[in-house]
Amino acid sequence: MQFLNQLTALYKKLTWTWNPGSDKEAGDAIVKNVLLHAFPNKVSKGSLSWKYSMYLGTISFVLFVILVVTGLILMFLYVPSVERAYSSVKDLEFVVSFGWLLRSLHRIAAHLMVAVVFLHMVRVFLTGAYKNGKSVGSNRPLNWIIGLGLLLMTLLLSFTGYLLPWDQLAYWAITVGTNIASSAPVVGDKIRFFLLGGNFIDQNALIRFYVLHVFFLPMIVVFLFVWHMWRIRKDGGLAVVDQEALTQKPEKVIPVKSKTYSLLGITNGSSVHVQTTMVNEEENSVASIPNLTRRLWLVTLGTIIVTVILSIIFRAPLEAAANPAVTPNPAKAPWYFLWLQEIVTISTIPLGFVTINGALIGGIILPTVMICLAVWWPYRDPSGINSVGVWFAPERKKQNRIFIIICLFIIIFTIIGTFLRGPYWNFYFPWEAWPTMPVKY
Amino acid sequence: MEEKKPLSHHKQESEEQHSSRREFLQKVGVGSVLLSAGAVGFQTLRSLVPNVLYESARKFKIGLPTQLSEGVTFIEDKQLYIFKEGKSFYSISASCTHLGCTVKHTKLNQPKEVEIHGEKKTITSEFHCPCHGSKYYADGTNYAGPAPRPLKWYKLELSPDDGQLIADMGIEVEQNFRLTV
Repeated sequence: MQFLNQLTALYKKLTWTWNPGSDKEAGDAIVKNVLLHAFPNKVSKGSLSWKYSMYLGTISFVLFVILVVTGLILMFLYVPSVERAYSSVKDLEFVVSFGWLLRSLHRIAAHLMVAVVFLHMVRVFLTGAYKNGKSVGSNRPLNWIIGLGLLLMTLLLSFTGYLLPWDQLAYWAITVGTNIASSAPVVGDKIRFFLLGGNFIDQNALIRFYVLHVFFLPMIVVFLFVWHMWRIRKDGGLAVVDQEALTQKPEKVIPVKSKTYSLLGITNGSSVHVQTTMVNEEENSVASIPNLTRRLWLVTLGTIIVTVILSIIFRAPLEAAANPAVTPNPAKAPWYFLWLQEIVTISTIPLGFVTINGALIGGIILPTVMICLAVWWPYRDPSGINSVGVWFAPERKKQNRIFIIICLFIIIFTIIGTFLRGPYWNFYFPWEAWPTMPVKY
Repeated sequence: MEEKKPLSHHKQESEEQHSSRREFLQKVGVGSVLLSAGAVGFQTLRSLVPNVLYESARKFKIGLPTQLSEGVTFIEDKQLYIFKEGKSFYSISASCTHLGCTVKHTKLNQPKEVEIHGEKKTITSEFHCPCHGSKYYADGTNYAGPAPRPLKWYKLELSPDDGQLIADMGIEVEQNFRLTV
C-alpha cells in the first residue's frame, strides 16, 4: 500500500500541471514551467563576475553544442560497420572537403569538454557552491549530484566515441576498458558480454557503442542539463547570491513590478524572486539582457575561437586499422583515463592464496568509492552558511586541501601516464628515447 | 432513532466494501501497468543479448604437426601461442590476464635460472605485456606487474580425419599438459 501511495504521489507530481486541482495549482502550472526558468530576468552583479564562476559551465555547454553540430554532420559521413568504419574516417581525413576540420573540431571539443567539466566541478567544490544558503526550497546538493551525472556522461560519451574510428588506438582502449568491466566479481564477464554483444570486440560492439554515442548518452546529457539549469534557478541562483544576501542589511523588498508572474509566486510562496527578498534587487542586480547575454556571447565566441585554433594546430590522429593480433606498445587509454590506467597497473594485490586483480581495485572499486564519496559529501559537509559561494572560505580550509590533494593526484597520475610511460609501461623521462619496438609479434 | 443505527452501520459497511473494491481495482490496474512495463523492459534488454554469435570458432585446425616449425608459432587472429618441442605440443594463450592485451613472446639474451612453484628451471624466453608491463615465465606463470593469474593453457588434440592439430580454446588445461604425436 505504501508503495502504491508513493507511486500515485510521483504520478501526480509529474502530471498535476495537466490536471490542476485548483486555481492556485493552475497558476503554479504556469509559474513553474521549466521554459520560463531557462533564463533569469535580472541577474546579481556577483553572479556576473568572471572571477567567481569563470563561466566554466557556460563553456562546457558551448562545447556540447559544438559537439552536437559537428557530430550530426559527421553522422552523414561515418559508416558504423567493421568493414567500412576505418575507411570512412580515413576519407574524412583525406578526401572529404574540410572533413579533417570537422573531425578535429569534434575531437578537440570533446577533450576540452572533459577538462572544463572537471574544472567546473573543482570550482563548485572550492567555492562551497554545492551547499544550501538561506533561501527556501533550495537543494544544491541535488544539483551537485546532477552535475556528477553530467561529468560521468561526458566521460562515457568520450569513451564510446573513442571506438568509432576503428583504429588501433580505439580497439585497444576499448579492450582495456571492457576488460575492466569484466573484472567485477561474479557478473563481470556477463557485463562485458552484454556491453560488447559477444565475446570479442566486433560488429556488435561497434554498433552498440555507436548508438549509445549518438543517441542515448546525448539524450541523457540534454535531460540532465535542463534539470541542472532549472535547479540553479530553483536554488535561488548561483551560490554567490546567498553570500550577497548575507553581507547585506536585510531589507523588506516588495515584489518587483517587472515580473509578470510575481503575484502567482506570492500565493505560492516559493517564487525565486520572492524568496530572495533580503537582497536589494535594484541596487545589486542588473538586467540579464544585455548584461548577462553580452558575457554569454563573449564566452561562446571565445570558446569557438579556441576550439578552432586548437583543432587546426592539433590534428586528430588516425593509427593503423584495428588489429586484434597486435597490441601497440605502449597501449594507452584516452588521456582522461590514464590516471586510472596508472592505478590499475600498480594496484594488483597478492593476498596469500588469492590475488586481487588491479583492474578490480583501480578500475571498479576506487572509482565507485570516489563517486559515492562525492555524492555523500554535500550532506556531510560541516561548514556553515558563511562559506557558501566564497572562494577558499577559511572554514573550509581542511576539506578544500584534501579535495585539492585528490585532484592533484589525478592530474599528476594523468601527466605521468600521458608523457612519462613508454613501452611495457616503463617509466621514461621526456628526454629519454624509447627503445624501438617490433610491430609484429 | 434506534432503528437508524443498524441502517447507518450497514451503509458504512457497504462504503467500506466499496472502497476496498476500489483499492483492489486500483492495485490490479497499477500492477498490470507495472507488469507490462517490466515485460516490455525485459523483452527490450533480452533482444540485445545475442543468441547466435558470428564470431570465429573457439576450436579450430592449425595444420599438420609436421608442418609446424620447431619452437613457437603465433596464431595472430586467435591470440594463441603454439609450442613445438620435438614431438610434444602445447599452447598458451597470448591474452594477458590483467586486461586482455596481447603478450609478446620475448627471447632472453641469456638463459635465466628461475624458481617456479618451488622447482628450479632454466628458461630462455618470457612473455611481456605491452599494456601495463606484466611479465610471465616461459610456462605462463606471472611474476611481475599487475597480472593476477598465469596465462591460460588450452587443450590441443589431433583431428581423427586428417591428422591436423586442433586447438580448443574452450577447454583450459594444466601447465603440465603435453600432446605427444
